[in-house]
Amino acid sequence: MIELSNLTKAYRDVKALDDVSFTVEAGSVTGFLGPNGAGKSTALRILAGLARPTSGSATVLGQPYAALPNPAAQVGMLLDAGAQHPGRTGREVLTLGAMTLGLPGRRVEEVLDLVGLSRKESRRTVGGYSLGMRQRLGIGHALLGSPRALILDEPANGLDPQGIQWMRGLLRGLADAGCAVLLSSHLLHEVEQVADDLVLIGRGRVLAHGSPAQLSQGRTLEETFLDLTSHADRSHA
Amino acid sequence: MTATAAPIPFPRLLAVETRKLFDTRSGKVMTAILAALTVAAIAARGLVAGPDYQLLLGTAGIGYGTLLPVLGILTVTGEWSHRTALTTFALEPRRWRVMAAKCVPPLVTAVVAVAFAMLVAVPVTAVIAGVEGVAASWEIDVAALLGWTVSCVLGVAMGLALGLLLLNAPAAIVITLTSTLVWSTVRLLGDVGATLAEWLDLNTAATPLMDGELTGGDALRLAVAATFWIVLPGVAGMIRVARKEVT
Repeated sequence: MIELSNLTKAYRDVKALDDVSFTVEAGSVTGFLGPNGAGKSTALRILAGLARPTSGSATVLGQPYAALPNPAAQVGMLLDAGAQHPGRTGREVLTLGAMTLGLPGRRVEEVLDLVGLSRKESRRTVGGYSLGMRQRLGIGHALLGSPRALILDEPANGLDPQGIQWMRGLLRGLADAGCAVLLSSHLLHEVEQVADDLVLIGRGRVLAHGSPAQLSQGRTLEETFLDLTSHADRSHA
Repeated sequence: MTATAAPIPFPRLLAVETRKLFDTRSGKVMTAILAALTVAAIAARGLVAGPDYQLLLGTAGIGYGTLLPVLGILTVTGEWSHRTALTTFALEPRRWRVMAAKCVPPLVTAVVAVAFAMLVAVPVTAVIAGVEGVAASWEIDVAALLGWTVSCVLGVAMGLALGLLLLNAPAAIVITLTSTLVWSTVRLLGDVGATLAEWLDLNTAATPLMDGELTGGDALRLAVAATFWIVLPGVAGMIRVARKEVT
């Protein structure tokens, strides 16, 4: 449902992504893990058609995202919860999205309920939102259509422990309903409990790929994660 | 929710992009300033110069020459200043359609602004004639009025094109505002400078249009200047937006 094959992205002398391949099946949650600067956002932006790969390909629902008609109605995206006009209200952000997708206004109310933003909060401008509220708004925006695939970049960043638990439940429910979910994080504990699969990335390369049980191999997952990413992290910005 | 898997129709993009112009405080403030300055300029000129409709109307043009291009610039650069391009172009990956939808409302605004000035100048002329006890002059040079309208539209188009090319509001605004100054300097650089200004300065080239006295030669010069300031940067800007990596 979400497929990256041999994805490589080179900037002058740095390879932000180096031959990255993995698949997220329908009905499953994949955690895309790696330290900051590992290439997670670059990969997700290529998936969204916002950046071009140097080689390789990225498809969602069998096609490059940009080739899907009205793509956001089928694929939910949250690429950066902070990238909002501070003067727009949360409700207005959702209204613009619903209008673009051709959805009725009541969908905005449904989504507000779904992500737990009150009517009062929705009428405030995003400039006054906490990062956690922006994440909820961004997740709501991604869920406006009826996504069969969901791509979220660092959605747990800024959420409190209750918020993270809420998000786990939400993503699990969506996956159980058949959605392919890909979420990135630089913190293992944010994703390990909800992910069926983990893809560990460092310096643009896939370091490990498997279920949380497969990756831990008798040790704690935390140790494996730190071990795999530590030397990759040190020599990279 | 039923997924609408049909491509997004252009009128829908147009409705969304128009709404974005007015759904933030800065958008509302910009509109209010434009309206308030129009009224203030026409009223002030009327008090000084007397009830001459055409003259009062033209006063609004001084502000429009600066504000309308800036409106165009802010409209096309907005998505990059707040990084909302990330969301906008994920919703509609065919970026040129989004940018085309963004260009329409400011161009319409230029025509609406002229109509607004025409409306405001009527009561101002009548009141001043009444208060000062002199006869009002209601004469209108239709060719000049049309020419002025077209030049307002061209001004917005130049703002849109420079904004698209630079994708940076301050840089595009500085170029727009200083171009008058630069060209008046160029014009002083002998015959070559004068010829250059005649063919490449949009303001100089549009002057016969605003006077309602456009000849064939003037039209050619205007076309060259418009190509230089609108068509070339506009096309280059569209290509840039379509290819740019959104981060």
